Amino acid sequence: MAEGRNRTSLRLGLEDWSAAALFADNCATFIPDVEEEQIADDPRSCYNCRYRRWQADSVVCLAG
Amino acid sequence: MDILVCLDDTDNLESRGTGELASLLAEQIEQQGWGRSSFVTRHQLLVHPDIPYTSHNSAMCFAAVLEDGQLDHFIDYAARFLERESAPGSDPGLCVAVPTMLADTEALIAFGRSAKQEVLAKKAAYALAKTLGVHLSEHGGSGQGVVGALAGTGLRLGGNDGRLRGKLEVGSAGEKVAVRALIAHPLIDEVRCANGASPGDDDLVILEDRKVKTVLLDGKSVLLLAPADGGVDGTLWRTFSRRELKNF
Repeated sequence: MAEGRNRTSLRLGLEDWSAAALFADNCATFIPDVEEEQIADDPRSCYNCRYRRWQADSVVCLAG
Repeated sequence: MDILVCLDDTDNLESRGTGELASLLAEQIEQQGWGRSSFVTRHQLLVHPDIPYTSHNSAMCFAAVLEDGQLDHFIDYAARFLERESAPGSDPGLCVAVPTMLADTEALIAFGRSAKQEVLAKKAAYALAKTLGVHLSEHGGSGQGVVGALAGTGLRLGGNDGRLRGKLEVGSAGEKVAVRALIAHPLIDEVRCANGASPGDDDLVILEDRKVKTVLLDGKSVLLLAPADGGVDGTLWRTFSRRELKNF
């Protein structure tokens, strides 16, 4: 479940594919990570962003 | 001499990825005339608050065949390469193993598997490397990357973990391609169905994308397929999406 709409406090679950794509689509700081670290089919997804950080049960945004 | 080379923790949020450095190092083996190198694999390790990682905690490994007498040259070069090319703030680690000279192959594989499940200490990594006769060295920062470098080597040696770095161009998105054509690609060793079925050489595969990604299974670069709708007698398949490959 996605929490928060401010990108600096964005936290996503590990399977929030739609939310991750939606947030990234509206994010000015999205930068695609290197190819081998991308896992979402939507090219523009928080899960594919260089500034996301995987945690055990969530993904947080490091941009800011 | 067959070797495995693994790098970990060479990057920061703004730098090149560890995978690119691994690929550059693999290319150097060929350019310097030291031998031949193989594909780079990415190995996911545990993400945990007690583990310092940039954003995903993965190690990058490749195999190579070195000419006799080149091992020490290569290790010296790789060490200097990491010191020169690793990003500020990173904690790079380098592991170079000679599988045929390992004191205990299973112990190295087990270390790799453990690094996916629990927090491992640098001291334990060095102790195991010494016992096994594996080169393990740190090249900046805290040197914490040695844990991932040793673990990644074990996972590559195990042959059943990780995705290959890069994607392979095999056609156009939506195109149907025969299995035999996919197997003909030099970087695809095998085409395998995730449900255990065996595709025939003449079976058709719908490409989800013009480029496909393979995973490491049984030590091979394997292209995974799933049954596709609309086939007759199970002869129509599709490639995995990026999302479906997430857990490899």
